[in-house]
Order: sequence, then C-alpha cells, then structure tokens
Amino acid sequence: MPETGSEFGQVLFEAVDEGLLVLGESGRNAVYFHLQNLYSLKREDISGKPEAFVENLRKIFGMGAEIIEKAILRSLYCKLGLTYEEKKNHDFIMYVNDAKNTAEQERRQEITVDFSIRQTVDEPI
Amino acid sequence: MSPIYKSSLILLTGLTLVYSLQGFYPKFIALFSDSFLPIIAGAAVISSGFSLQKYWHKAKEQFSIVWLCFTIGLFLWFVGEAVRTGYTVVWSVETPYPSIADAFWLSGCVPLFMALYLYFDIFKSVISRKASTFAVAITASLAVFVSVGVIAPVAKTADLTTRMVDFLYPVLDLALLSIAILGLFIFLKGNLGKSWALITSGVLLNAWADVLFSYSKLQGAYYAGHPIELLYAVAYVFFLLAFYVHTKEL
Repeated sequence: MPETGSEFGQVLFEAVDEGLLVLGESGRNAVYFHLQNLYSLKREDISGKPEAFVENLRKIFGMGAEIIEKAILRSLYCKLGLTYEEKKNHDFIMYVNDAKNTAEQERRQEITVDFSIRQTVDEPI
Repeated sequence: MSPIYKSSLILLTGLTLVYSLQGFYPKFIALFSDSFLPIIAGAAVISSGFSLQKYWHKAKEQFSIVWLCFTIGLFLWFVGEAVRTGYTVVWSVETPYPSIADAFWLSGCVPLFMALYLYFDIFKSVISRKASTFAVAITASLAVFVSVGVIAPVAKTADLTTRMVDFLYPVLDLALLSIAILGLFIFLKGNLGKSWALITSGVLLNAWADVLFSYSKLQGAYYAGHPIELLYAVAYVFFLLAFYVHTKEL
C-alpha cells in the first residue's frame, strides 16, 4: 500500500502504462509520443497531471478514451488492493481521487493499528 | 488547411474535371482511368504500409494485426486494379466479368473487414444501444436498396459465377460499411475521428461504385473510363488520406 502522494503517483504511473496496453505496445508508444509532441505532456508527468492526461486522451480518441480510462482505473485499483466498481456520474479524476483517498485512509488506519500494537507490546507486564 | 489536404483537394478537383470532360477525349479517358486506378491504389498501399511500420510491434498484438490487415486488404485491391490494367492496357482486351481481378477485390474485403472489426473490437463496449441501432438501420436500409436495385435484377442472370460475384460485392461492401460506421461513432469527437470519417467515406464511395458498376454492367452501359471509376479513385484517395491522418493524429 503506498504511503502518500509520491508513492501514489508511482502507482498511477504504472497503471497508466498498463492501461494503455489495450492498444498494444506500439499504440502505447504512439500515445506517449503524441501527448509529448502535441500537448507537451511527458510520460513521467502524467501521474502529476491526470486532468491534462485524460483531457488529451479524449481529444485523441473521443468516446473511445473511456475504454483506456477504464483499463487504467482497473489496473490502479488492483495495484492498490482496492475493488474497482463503476459508479454513475463518476469520471476518471473522481475515481483517481477516490482511490487516492481510500489508499491514504487505509494507510493511516494501518499506522494507528501498528502504533497501538507496539504500545501494547511495550507496556510492562 | 494542411498541405496534404490541399494537395488532395487539388487532386480530387482535377480528377472530377478529367472525368467530367471525357466527351472531348473518349480514347484518352479509358487509358487514363485504367492507368490511374492502380497508381492511386498503390499509393494507398504505401500509405497503409507506413501506418503498419509505425504501429507494428508483434503478431500477438491486436492493434498490430489491425494495420497488417489494412495493408494486406489494400494490397489485394491494388493487385485487382493492376490485373484489370493488365487486361486492358497490356493485353488490349476488355476485362472479362467476373475475372481474376474480381477475385482479388473480393478477397481484399476480408482482411479489410478484419482490420475494421479488430480496431472496433478494442473499443466496442463504449458503443451505446442507440448508436448500434442507428448503424443497423443505415446498413439495413442500404441492404434493402441494394437488394432491390442490384441483387434482384442480377438474380435473373443465367451465369451462376456472375450471380455469386454480383451478390458478394454488395454483401461485403455492406459488412465493411456497417463496421466503419460503428467505428466512426466511437472516434467522431476525437482527432482519430478524421481518419475514421475518411475510411467510412472511402468504404461508402466504394460500395456506391460497386452498386452502380453492377447495375450499369447489367444494363450494358459500362465502359472503360466510365464516371463510376471516379468514385473508385476518390475512395482510394480517401483511404490514402485516412492512414496518413491516423499516423499524424496518433
């Protein structure tokens, strides 16, 4: 489970990389090349700018972008150990934020549980 | 307007003028049409080949197969055009119907259909029921038109091979058209929509030309350099552009 922003960013980066594979490796490379050349969005910047990424993806694929978005989200949720469920009126960014918040909450709970276990162990008998 | 669109527009205007004014040069138009079609079909194969070079990764990848199928399909159509030119220009005989050229044109439809289907297949789940119904409605209405206009009259012809070829052309054209329309729905709002619009227009023109060809052949009105051949030429220009635009937009 990732701890904070930067680790989540790494997971999102990997999820984007995997999700774009619906187009095959050559298709994925073409998307990266295109994003960088036409929209100045570098591969490594995608996780920091998911809004720009998804906007440009829709500019390229139109309605077809939805398939790539879903593939990325499935991969993201899987990597975070979460269950991806489709919700009405939820867009890509909402799903990404949900995943980030849930992952952070779970992380915090883990730390709290870990801390209380340590306290219990450290208490003198 | 980008230079490729400008050049295409000039080419299309020029072609339209050449076919429109054919009454002034009846002998030249036959030679022109027979020579130009394989050239423009070859150019479309080259354009598709560049797309294949860009998108090919390995044979197990669906997206790679799409471009291989496009290239094979267009190559078969090019061979069909070349064979037809061989009959008329090289051997100076009228192209028989059906001929080996028809075998290439018909077989070319199969990889082209596979290419369109495999591309559509990756994105098919975004197609709404409304869009599918619309595509089915268009295809069905065209199927009725084709059945009444071509298949019914052709069914009365004596030769079984001719009947089969005349039947196969509209059927394969409609199959290509229906899948192209569905693909167009998916990408219409994106930049790839331009490429799909060109593919769909190419398929539509080709289908229209095939229907008119069968009908005029049946009426004995067809001749080398007939204005119908302009539709085939424009369709090839559209395919050429479609692949070029695709590599520019993705």
